[in-house]
Amino acid sequence: MTAPDRSLLPALTRRGLVAALGTTLLVGVASAHAGSLGSVTPVSVPSWLFALTGGAVVVASFLFTSLLTDRDLIRAVNERGPTVQAPRALALGRRLLAAVGVVGLLAVVVVGLFVPAPPVANLAVLLVWVAWWAGYTTTVYLVGNTWPALNPFRTLAGSLPTLDRPLPARLATWPSVVGLLALVWLEVVSPLADAPRLLAGVAVGYTLLTLAGAVVFGSRTWFERVDPVSRVFRFYGALAPVQRVREGFVVGLPGAGLLTHGGTEGVVGRRRSPDGPVRADGGVASTAAHRGRSLVSGGDDVAFVVALLWTTTFDGFVSTQVWADLAGPAVEWGAPPLAVYLAALVGGFGLFFGGYRLASALARRSAGSYVTSVELERRFAVALLPIAAGYHLAHFAGYFLTFSPALAAVLAAPLSPPANPLLVVLPDWFGAIQLSFVVLGHLLGVWVAHSVAFETFTGRLQPLRSQYPYVVVMAAYTMTSMWLLMQPYTAPPFL
Amino acid sequence: MTTEPTPTVEPTPTVSDDTASDRPPTSVPDGATVEACPYCERPFPTDRLRALHLGERHADRLTPEERATFEETEDEEIDDLFVYHLKVVALIVLVVMGLSYVYAFALA
Repeated sequence: MTAPDRSLLPALTRRGLVAALGTTLLVGVASAHAGSLGSVTPVSVPSWLFALTGGAVVVASFLFTSLLTDRDLIRAVNERGPTVQAPRALALGRRLLAAVGVVGLLAVVVVGLFVPAPPVANLAVLLVWVAWWAGYTTTVYLVGNTWPALNPFRTLAGSLPTLDRPLPARLATWPSVVGLLALVWLEVVSPLADAPRLLAGVAVGYTLLTLAGAVVFGSRTWFERVDPVSRVFRFYGALAPVQRVREGFVVGLPGAGLLTHGGTEGVVGRRRSPDGPVRADGGVASTAAHRGRSLVSGGDDVAFVVALLWTTTFDGFVSTQVWADLAGPAVEWGAPPLAVYLAALVGGFGLFFGGYRLASALARRSAGSYVTSVELERRFAVALLPIAAGYHLAHFAGYFLTFSPALAAVLAAPLSPPANPLLVVLPDWFGAIQLSFVVLGHLLGVWVAHSVAFETFTGRLQPLRSQYPYVVVMAAYTMTSMWLLMQPYTAPPFL
Repeated sequence: MTTEPTPTVEPTPTVSDDTASDRPPTSVPDGATVEACPYCERPFPTDRLRALHLGERHADRLTPEERATFEETEDEEIDDLFVYHLKVVALIVLVVMGLSYVYAFALA
């Protein structure tokens, strides 16, 4: 069976770059498609059926995991492997990564401002979107969180004095939620991937803002509670098989880190591990200050995880015909386009957050439990992270592969890049692989929710019943995500 | 780089020992029946759930009566689970068959 993938590739490609080279890509894909047909007649599965299949796979996976109700066995699966002592080269590696980060940031700013190359041959654009946001982010959830070491802003902030003003405790980490939504809004409404100068300007602005914040509130407070980028990597990194602990690294199944994050608590806060607590930023806590701080420790963290999930969806949603049809009338009635985008972003986030909170309230009821629904929101939120990562992978794996030869060519000669660098034309079947990433993310999400339920509830039936609302939400979300991926690319209007 | 501990937010109370961490925050609706755990005071809507909880969380502290109740309840739970799993298998068959039908008609 063949996915309707001719339409998939443009939808997966970042808007700005598409605008710059859409024709090249489309021509390339079209010819590849014609050439690959051969004598095989493809069976065209309608996109709704693809989405329905994805939803059914999620439901079936819940049904299959419900056969496993032995707590000890579930724990054994999520048990982390042996701790590997941190090699002495680690300090050197950290310094190397820090240097790479700073050089990378410098390259984005200098090349973006002063090298007049088109986006597809511009190192600034390729570094930010292809190397960093598509490629590097993937390594964070597939391997481990190296961002605390690589983070150029943190490295730069380290050499500055700090006033260590306290950030009001009641703000918790809400500033990072606002920051994430603001960043995504900026990315969607401005041609950041199409205008290297603008991108460099944003990079400079972000650097100044971040350094100012780190100076006023202290580096640690800023990067743990305010900086949305660090928080994104912190949550994505918790998913990775390699986790940092005090003595070195532990290796476990993907997602196991979600349940044991922090060494002692994880989500559930049940068992102690001798590994010692991991600092919220992925480093290792040296004091008891962070002992017991779990990955998702309150409503603010829940909101951040939901925002992370929603923003990946929003990014795909604005390049569909449905969005064009919805936004059109609003703008015709006189609403400013930027406000329409902002309203959709914030409204959609509210909808997702509300939907998740409703599911948690229903879970309390379907389980027949007195555990507060706020507590359920907190505990089950980690199950959303594999879903966000799966969607990111579906979105950006193909994007990274498509542009990686261009990235290599431009890296070799950043100041005088080739005018028309080579791009990979992905084969048709790659579309099906991308859809399967969405489903895989949900499968891991189902497993994580299953594990959390068995740590939270009593007996064997109550944990199973508690998962019904979440399974319904996940199946619905799988179908929505797959449908979005299969939509033909439509340039977001009015921008 | 600043490594001084700055005040950090801990919206949920830190859990320090097994007993406390076994007890997620609970709220009991007005007028609902409460079967509280004698060791950690966690409230349950039914004595069956409380009996299971005792065996799962406080296995090493149980009185002989509590242990007997737990074992009896655990047996009941496993019997019910068997029936539940029969339903699950039926549902798996239903999902697979249903999907096959849809494919058969959609691709015909």
